Amino acid sequence: MKVTWKLPDGSEISADVAEGLSMMEAAVAQNVPGVVGECGGNLSCATCHVQVAEPWAARVGGPDDFEDAMLDTVEAARGPGSRLSCQIRASADLDGLVLIVPEA
Amino acid sequence: MTVWSPNDDGFADLTSHDTFVQGAPHNTFARLRREDPVHWTDWDQGQGFWSITRHADITEMNRQPDVFSSARGIRMEDQTYEEYLARRTFQETDPPEHMQTRVKVARAFSKPVIAEYEQDIRDLCDEILDQALEAREFDATKAIARQLPMRMLGRILGTPEADLPWLVEKGDALIANTDPDFTDHVLDKMDTDAFRMMPFNSPAGAELYQYAKELMEHKARTGDTNGILNLILNPGRDGGVISETEFRNFFCLLVAAGNDTTRYSIAAGIQAMCHQPELLGQMQAGGDVWETAADEIIRWATPALYFRRTATQDVEVHGKTIRAGDKVLYWFASANRDETVFDDPFRVDLARSPNKHLSFGQGGPHICLGMWLARLEVRVLFEELSKRLTSIEPAGPHEFLRSNFVGGIKALPVRVTPA
Ligand code: HEM
Ligand code: FES
Repeated sequence: MKVTWKLPDGSEISADVAEGLSMMEAAVAQNVPGVVGECGGNLSCATCHVQVAEPWAARVGGPDDFEDAMLDTVEAARGPGSRLSCQIRASADLDGLVLIVPEA
Repeated sequence: MTVWSPNDDGFADLTSHDTFVQGAPHNTFARLRREDPVHWTDWDQGQGFWSITRHADITEMNRQPDVFSSARGIRMEDQTYEEYLARRTFQETDPPEHMQTRVKVARAFSKPVIAEYEQDIRDLCDEILDQALEAREFDATKAIARQLPMRMLGRILGTPEADLPWLVEKGDALIANTDPDFTDHVLDKMDTDAFRMMPFNSPAGAELYQYAKELMEHKARTGDTNGILNLILNPGRDGGVISETEFRNFFCLLVAAGNDTTRYSIAAGIQAMCHQPELLGQMQAGGDVWETAADEIIRWATPALYFRRTATQDVEVHGKTIRAGDKVLYWFASANRDETVFDDPFRVDLARSPNKHLSFGQGGPHICLGMWLARLEVRVLFEELSKRLTSIEPAGPHEFLRSNFVGGIKALPVRVTPA
């Protein structure tokens, strides 16, 4: 599947991501600035915060309770499409996904 | 290859606390990374254990808490199930149970909440440094490194200033329980059986429990809302409040984990300034260097030398079979000198970026809760210290703690010329 990260400075990074990989792992592999992923995808650091761009938010779905609580600890302001990207897995039905990296 | 520890022949005994009084045995770690990355050690005082020394392996294993569990002890010492129940904190639980506590405390220690303490930390640094630098020669661990985390701990806990030295003494007795300078109950040198059920095997743990209980009651009675901990005592969005047992365990954990680690990071940074005089100028030039300096100092220090896991199933790693029930040690001290990850790992490079050090246990669910606080304290301390100095040099040999668990310079004589 193809994913695009939109950065605060207006630039974009796109990549093909293998099925099953998390969006945090994919971002780290692509050196997407602002997605650090310090806890290895274990929902403990909140350094993998992104906002899912419309019209993708509904298809990606919302956070579960633990993720929801951790989203209250993020550095950049939390928005409606906010997710911790280690909790989003690449799958064919998300092909074309656009993720916004919020300004810290 | 002699890289750092002149007395380490590459075959140091990792079970011996005495090995570490010369600093971590980096020649041994370098050899293990090269030749034997999943290394078995027999131990006469308990079950033997595996040592994982490569950065890539620790990172890969740490993110799998279902295979490598924290729930059977996180130090080298064996622990029975009864002991575990009596004294565990959420650091000794696995997901999803771990998350239940972690989410309750995460906001209080999050980057944006901690950032609000920058001015407080700077004010404390002013006081501490003004006092320390009145002397031209002093012990920098005692006069500087020990002071800032201790005073900040008071802010976090919301405890009276007057109680702080007592609290820090107890915290040291818990963590440095193998160094006679810090405890009367040296763990490997006397029968600590009577203390088995106490937090950290130590009567200091029992005293801290009692203190925490009284503090909680006092706060409830007087409506005192001081301290970051108060965020945790107050009902969360879901109405959930941390239970009394959870609070007492958490309190002990903070006193133990939030104190000496930051202290020894600051001490290691000052030691680096003594041995690499160019660092002072780089700090004084300022700017971008402060984006990266704290992490590099904390990499250099690696105060938590290792943490342990226990395998929950048989797994093969680099041709060795780790059996269910085997203890596995992640040697962060080794990973942070891994030459395949860090250029010139034995040099302090304040501008190092990226800096994927593992000092905070990065890569796993137990990643340090206090990392934003520690990073902020270290950065502000060195910003303020470097402003005030023309030079700093050793005034004698430094001494390491007697511990294979906490890596720290416990005595650091320095000579300074103030600016
Ligand atoms: C430079 C200073 C510090 C270092 C090097 C450090 C190191 C670590 C490491 C390596 C872990 C992970 C343990 C594991 O994987 O089992 C950890 C966890 C933890 N640290 Fe720190 N720490 C530091 C400062 C602090 C501070 C200032 C606090 C609090 C005020 C703190 C509180 C904690 C807590 C509560 C945990 C347990 C988290 C969990 O299990 O989810 N630490 N620390
Ligand atoms: S990587 Fe830590 S919360 Fe996503």
